[in-house]
Amino acid sequence: MNLIENIKLAFASLKSNKMRALLTMLGIIIGVSSVIMINTLGSIMENSVTDTFDSQGGSNLIGFQITMKKDAARDYLMPDDFISEEMIESVEQRFADDINVVSVMYGSENGTTRHKRETLDLVIYGVSPGYIKQSMTEVIAGRYINDKDIRKGGKVCAISNKQAIKLYGSVKDAIGQTLSIKMYGSMYDFTVVGVYEYRMTGMMSAMVNAMGEDWNNEVYIPYTTLSEMYGETDPTFYYFYVHINDGVDAESFASDVKNYMNNRYYRNNDSIEIFYQTAEAQMSMMSQVLGVVSMVISVIAGISLVVGGIGVMNIMLVSVTERTREIGVRKALGAPNSAIRSQFIIESIIICLIGGLIGIIFGVLLGNLIGIIVGTMASPSVGAILLAVSFSMAIGIFFGYYPANRAAKLDPIEALRYE
Amino acid sequence: MNRPIIDMKGIFKRFYIGTPNELEILHGLDISVPEGQFVSIVGASGSGKSTLMNIVGALDRQTEGKYVLDGIDVSKLDDTELSGIRNKKIGFVFQTFNLISRTSALKNVELPMLYAGVPAKERTKRAKELLEIVEMTDRASHMPNELSGGQKQRIAIARAMANDPAIILADEPTGALDSKTGRLVMDLFHKLHKEKGKTIVLITHNPELAEETDRIITLSDGRIISDRMTDKEAAE
Ligand SMILES: Nc1ncnc2c1ncn2[C@@H]1O[C@H](COP(=O)(O)OP(=O)(O)OP(=O)(O)O)[C@@H](O)[C@H]1O
Ligand SMILES: [Mg+2]
Repeated sequence: MNLIENIKLAFASLKSNKMRALLTMLGIIIGVSSVIMINTLGSIMENSVTDTFDSQGGSNLIGFQITMKKDAARDYLMPDDFISEEMIESVEQRFADDINVVSVMYGSENGTTRHKRETLDLVIYGVSPGYIKQSMTEVIAGRYINDKDIRKGGKVCAISNKQAIKLYGSVKDAIGQTLSIKMYGSMYDFTVVGVYEYRMTGMMSAMVNAMGEDWNNEVYIPYTTLSEMYGETDPTFYYFYVHINDGVDAESFASDVKNYMNNRYYRNNDSIEIFYQTAEAQMSMMSQVLGVVSMVISVIAGISLVVGGIGVMNIMLVSVTERTREIGVRKALGAPNSAIRSQFIIESIIICLIGGLIGIIFGVLLGNLIGIIVGTMASPSVGAILLAVSFSMAIGIFFGYYPANRAAKLDPIEALRYE
Repeated sequence: MNRPIIDMKGIFKRFYIGTPNELEILHGLDISVPEGQFVSIVGASGSGKSTLMNIVGALDRQTEGKYVLDGIDVSKLDDTELSGIRNKKIGFVFQTFNLISRTSALKNVELPMLYAGVPAKERTKRAKELLEIVEMTDRASHMPNELSGGQKQRIAIARAMANDPAIILADEPTGALDSKTGRLVMDLFHKLHKEKGKTIVLITHNPELAEETDRIITLSDGRIISDRMTDKEAAE
């Protein structure tokens, strides 16, 4: 008895009971589609997490910020608690060999500008020159905020390529233009010195694109300029970032800086100290979360595959019983036990394979549906599809074997007498 | 006389062996059927005709005794070899037709050839020839549930002939048919007997049909109480 005949037979038998076949496949469909969906989502997320990680400076980025001591005497902040420019400068000098650049973001403020009778919303960030390293942006024309701007507290700014095109027609034409920004009810004139563009891929860029204008309306100005507008002559910070040189050990550098700052500036502070977080640590936390999520879903998928397999076994047992007489006739006509066995195993495999294929289609569709929402199309890996297909086949064989063997071992006379 | 194609000596069949209700159904039968003979087996219900037929058809094994089928000692064969014997040497015709449902008449006829490993093209060609013999060519693509009882039985006979078996075994093949249709089926057996020289063993409750065959073996409670050639054979 050859394979093609068995496959035809299996399809004929499934066709005669379509509804039952579909219900039987349900467990397999759910199991396989969730596996494929997880795989699709997993690759979307992983890509975007590593993209973000890399575009922010990768493992060379360390964040320092103030935090409450364990035995804090207060639960509110005082002006002296904040990180001062002086502190950052002393860190820069003390660890000059290890530091590539330090970056701060003093604060952000909402503002507006008028353009052809339209009022455009802007978000103004007061930053240091190093901030570009972690802002996932790249200067495509002119320059970014520089040290001279910081010293002078100059009224200069960098705008996004989308803003440049919208306001001035092109990226090139934006340089040197004056951007009038309304903040706190007063007008300030800024000179556009640079145009930046987001450089992101995967989910992050999808999110940025989805938010469109809102994300591209960030205007970067020197932090000294912003603090002056606030009326604060000595700007202070809640946190700052350090990009270390390649080859410097992030962990030991970070703890050295922390200890240095705590000894020197926070020893007598009753409530506040410095703490740090390396990008590596953040990253591993993210991947841990992702790992747990996909573990949980995989377990669910696995359970539904096993339940699906038991469903297939159940239906195959019913099918064997229903066709007892047919089995008897086949044996009387000379079918060896092996032919009967393979007939039913192949039927079981076909059920599982069809279920698996429907599952793959569903999984890809669902994964892409979510992909469309976050803006990236994704397809599951070939490996995942092969795994799903071979897993469905394995389930078909495993759970089909017992019923098929039962059919094969039926006594031909008893089978023929079966009513 | 030709050499015996069925050669049985001291065949016993017991059920529930080793239990208190052990049951002996066949009590040591000796039967020898030469090639080309048309034999009928008659007897009251429960006399053991079907039990005997199952042993002759290699569907079942005797508890005791020796059975040589077409020169092969069947008791020495394993299950797979027995299925090979059923496939190539035996053609079964059942009272209830037993066509495979949802499978066309043609595919039903092809089935024994499928298990014999005959290539698809050849299978279809031969199946068509067989349908022609039983005059069912126009029903080749019909499903069993679209056929009458007599038509089903003719398909079943074509199927029994598929691998050109040594023996055709028919257990009350006309039992579920009216007398006119039964007649047609009976004529078909005569045709196969005369034209193809087939050895046929027929179980029947109809004495008139039995008289049409070469030889009548009468069973009663698992024993042969009469084994005679019919007048027709004697006349020849
Ligand atoms: N598997 C079995 N287990 C126990 N007893 C059986 C079995 N098969 C047959 N018998 C018994 O053997 C006896 C003969 O049965 P068999 O079917 O051979 O009779 P038969 O002559 O073909 O009858 P009928 O003309 O009604 O078909 C019956 O009493 C039956 O109950
Ligand atoms: Mg009987």
